[in-house]
Amino acid sequence: MNGNRFNQPLKKYYSDINIVCLYVFSIFLLSIFSIFSPYVLPEVVSQEETIILTAIVAEPKERWDLLFENALEELNKKYTDKKISVDYSVLPYSDTRTQIVTTLAGRSDLDLVSIDQIWLGEFAEAGFLTDLTDRIKLWNKSSDWYENNWQGGIYDNQVKGIWAWTDVRALWYWKDLLNQSELSPDQLKTWNGYWDSFVKLSKNLDKKIQPIHLTSANHVPDMWYPYLWMLGGDILEMKDNHPSKGSYWFPVYNSEAGIKALEFLKNQTEIGIKPQINHFWGQEFADKKFAVMLEGSWLLGQFPRDQWPDLEKKIGLIPMFPVPDNKTKTSTLMGGWLLGIPETSKHKDLAWELITIMLEPKILVPMLLEQGYLPTQKSIAEGNYSKELASTIPYYDELISLIPYGKGRPNIPEYPQIADHIRMAIEEVYHGADPKQALDQAAENSMYVLGWR
Amino acid sequence: MQKNKINVEPYLYLLPSLFILVSLLLFPLLWNIYVSTHDVSILTILKKWDFVGLKNFYDLFSDPKFYESLKLTLFFVVGSVSAQFGIGLLLAVLLNQQIKGTHVLRTLLIIPWSVSTVITAFSFKFMYDDNYGIINYVLESIGLDAVGWLSDPNIAIWSIVLANIWYGTPFTILFLTAGLHSISPHLYEAAIIDGATKIKRFFFITIPLLRQFIITNLILITVWSINFFDLQLIMTGGGPLFSTTTTSLYMYREAFEFGSFSGGATIGILLIVMNLLLTFVYVKIFNRKTSDQNEK
Amino acid sequence: MKNSYRNNIKQVLSDKWLIYSIIFTYIFITLIPLVWVFSTSLKPNDLAISLPPEFLPSEPTIENYVFVITEPRLVQSLINSLLVSLGSTVLSVAISALGGYSFARFKFKGKNLLLSIILGFFMIPIVINIIPLYLMLSEIGLLNSIFSLIITFQILIIPLNIFLLKNYFETIPRELEEAALVDGCSRFGILRRIILPLSTPGLAIASVLAFRFSWNEFLLPIVLANRPDSLVFQLALYQFISIYRIEWGYLTAGINIALIPIVILMLLFQKQLVHGLTASSLKG
Repeated sequence: MNGNRFNQPLKKYYSDINIVCLYVFSIFLLSIFSIFSPYVLPEVVSQEETIILTAIVAEPKERWDLLFENALEELNKKYTDKKISVDYSVLPYSDTRTQIVTTLAGRSDLDLVSIDQIWLGEFAEAGFLTDLTDRIKLWNKSSDWYENNWQGGIYDNQVKGIWAWTDVRALWYWKDLLNQSELSPDQLKTWNGYWDSFVKLSKNLDKKIQPIHLTSANHVPDMWYPYLWMLGGDILEMKDNHPSKGSYWFPVYNSEAGIKALEFLKNQTEIGIKPQINHFWGQEFADKKFAVMLEGSWLLGQFPRDQWPDLEKKIGLIPMFPVPDNKTKTSTLMGGWLLGIPETSKHKDLAWELITIMLEPKILVPMLLEQGYLPTQKSIAEGNYSKELASTIPYYDELISLIPYGKGRPNIPEYPQIADHIRMAIEEVYHGADPKQALDQAAENSMYVLGWR
Repeated sequence: MQKNKINVEPYLYLLPSLFILVSLLLFPLLWNIYVSTHDVSILTILKKWDFVGLKNFYDLFSDPKFYESLKLTLFFVVGSVSAQFGIGLLLAVLLNQQIKGTHVLRTLLIIPWSVSTVITAFSFKFMYDDNYGIINYVLESIGLDAVGWLSDPNIAIWSIVLANIWYGTPFTILFLTAGLHSISPHLYEAAIIDGATKIKRFFFITIPLLRQFIITNLILITVWSINFFDLQLIMTGGGPLFSTTTTSLYMYREAFEFGSFSGGATIGILLIVMNLLLTFVYVKIFNRKTSDQNEK
Repeated sequence: MKNSYRNNIKQVLSDKWLIYSIIFTYIFITLIPLVWVFSTSLKPNDLAISLPPEFLPSEPTIENYVFVITEPRLVQSLINSLLVSLGSTVLSVAISALGGYSFARFKFKGKNLLLSIILGFFMIPIVINIIPLYLMLSEIGLLNSIFSLIITFQILIIPLNIFLLKNYFETIPRELEEAALVDGCSRFGILRRIILPLSTPGLAIASVLAFRFSWNEFLLPIVLANRPDSLVFQLALYQFISIYRIEWGYLTAGINIALIPIVILMLLFQKQLVHGLTASSLKG
């Protein structure tokens, strides 16, 4: 009975399952082989010593392709007996951070990392980064850096990273749209003028185009700090009598300056400017969905390269954040990336050499030109290369002129949490809260995080 | 005589699975429990870990944001699971009927789930956008007002629930399809001869025979909804005004954005407990139902 | 008699159309975003995303696909993903079938406990496992290898498939096995010759699930395997999503290519979806 019923289909399934078993077994064998092969196969002896440096860097990829390729070429010319290459992993911003943190927490080898300025304090305090102070002294190029940018790489009096390039945030506008509304760009420079411009633009523009952009995305604190700074305020200040550390940072962003700055943002929403929760990093300006936008200099990258020569005819740049009155000096936020060497690196000297080469003008400038970034070194910004940069990057001179007014964010370990408190305060104000209350609440939270409570 | 000998066979069959699961997951679990009772952050991870006992748990229980996130998780889970299960069951059953082209249709139906969460999140973020989004565009072109899908704190969580339904329903369809195929058509044929209507056949044959699959399915999608945060992370990052920060997202942000590994581990352990409790509840409810039915 | 006649006409007229309309409505709603994805992949990469969205590209081009297929890093990652996913599928279905059978058929001490343990492991959110897993695997030296990905992905899939197959095996009537036992067949033989052939729908679905989870996973690979020779496709697609711009053309082409294996798998495996294998063999 069994035989008759099961034989026919049985053979087919029997063979299917046998195949599956074979497959499982062979994968098992293959994997055993792949684990043990380094120990079993004979070492290929080569003429030159191969060194592979590992790096974790943040998107976009093209800038690293260019930098590493050119820098490695130089490095390999110097060491003819070695073949040096870089195995770099490129990921989006938060994944890069996750990966760097996991790798270094796991004490794995890593030779080079790109560090966002706001991570520096954390990574340095955690013991992730090598102290570069002695190497810097030998290198003797630190004086070439703009002071603000150089300070951004220092933590606890040690140099832990070098600010390789930067960006600034400024006011961009479409010339034709302003003309069409009979609006002069100068109007945008003061707070009152900013509001008046909005009213004028709303009357004259197509319904589909929004007059002025106001951000409400996760990085909104970055777009608020310039107002805080221009009014004389600051985010944090050193204060004595800390419960455990003697003196430590104390939140002061809820000062009069902070409240006034936040009120300016609130007033924008009250006259009808809509806070934008999604951010497309200038794409929305390039697509002409906004007539005026405060955005970083990376906005240039949203325009195809072939449009750059004529770009200054179409879009305008006012190198500033609007000021409350003509007597107040403007301010802006500087961003960009730092380069650092993890403590776990087994090739620190080589990694350091690579970094110095990457920072050499002749290697760095081609990348800056391609991506539209701004230099942190005076010799590039003001020296021989400046002509080339000025002729390629639209509004280069104006953007550079903004650097002295620019500040970086604090590079203390607790900064990410403080930024989150500030972000919540701004969001609450957008939804109708009182600026003083919101900022005071945020400062309470920050005090707790900084150990004052 | 044979009763005294322990039969090793069942354990042998389970050995490969248990071996992999235990060797990969036991250490992380213990690590997390250890971390949750110490002060471990990005700053201290390479240095000394201070023992803090249950302080992390105490801090969490006195954190109003934690309770807010639990409420949001409730919305998220109830919304996602009920819709995913309801729609999934309906479609699985419909595709089980004698109609042509079920293979192709089923394949089309699972495409949303075959796209990774990152892509799904980006696509929906885009579609919901005020400036680039097609949804508001369509609404405005037929004369309705645009909706702040992701910018309105009251609506944002539901917009994400919608995206999760779009994304996750295919799993239920697949899972229940497997279950439906274990039911012999003869049972249906017998019922038809007896004059049972479609509805009667559904409730008295399909559902009871699918019971185990349904329970398992509900447990799985509930656990996933509780632990899932990819959509929230990419679509809103937790905002606006914390209105989309489910407990799982809160855990991720604590660990990886604020560098507090003990914070993340603490919340993670609480999530595991939540999952276990819910599963317990599910099993109890369904077991009670059977005993009710049996009594009938 | 009259009633059943009326019922029959109603059935013929409304049923099929009702079913089709519900299904098609749902498919239509869910596939709209993907239609957009598909049409964007046929547009030149430089074109900014526009509103109203162009569903039919004005100048269709396959340059995006060509780019994705010829980029060495992408192709390598595609192969890696295929290897990992196929390996992971076979491994997980094999050991889940064993485990599921054990739970379905045997009564043994600690059965409920082990069941709860497996379920419990499933409930652990992956986020809190990332760092300890990394620590563990880097100690053993199992980072950045296809093998380690295959094994690691099992933690996502095994609980799922064990439960699916356990449920499925339980629907097979015991009489079949008892008859074979009486004839002197070993348990494993029963599994191989009787249970598995009758469970092809369950095995097919388990395979599709395992493949999909392995194919789409990106959180674990970010941390465990991101060197070029172990990069998976989903991670490779990341290079098109930068914080400043998204290369929609290449990205959507990549998404569509990523869909192909799953679609093929679904179509192939649905051949195994035959109704009522379990009970039909009882006849005769």
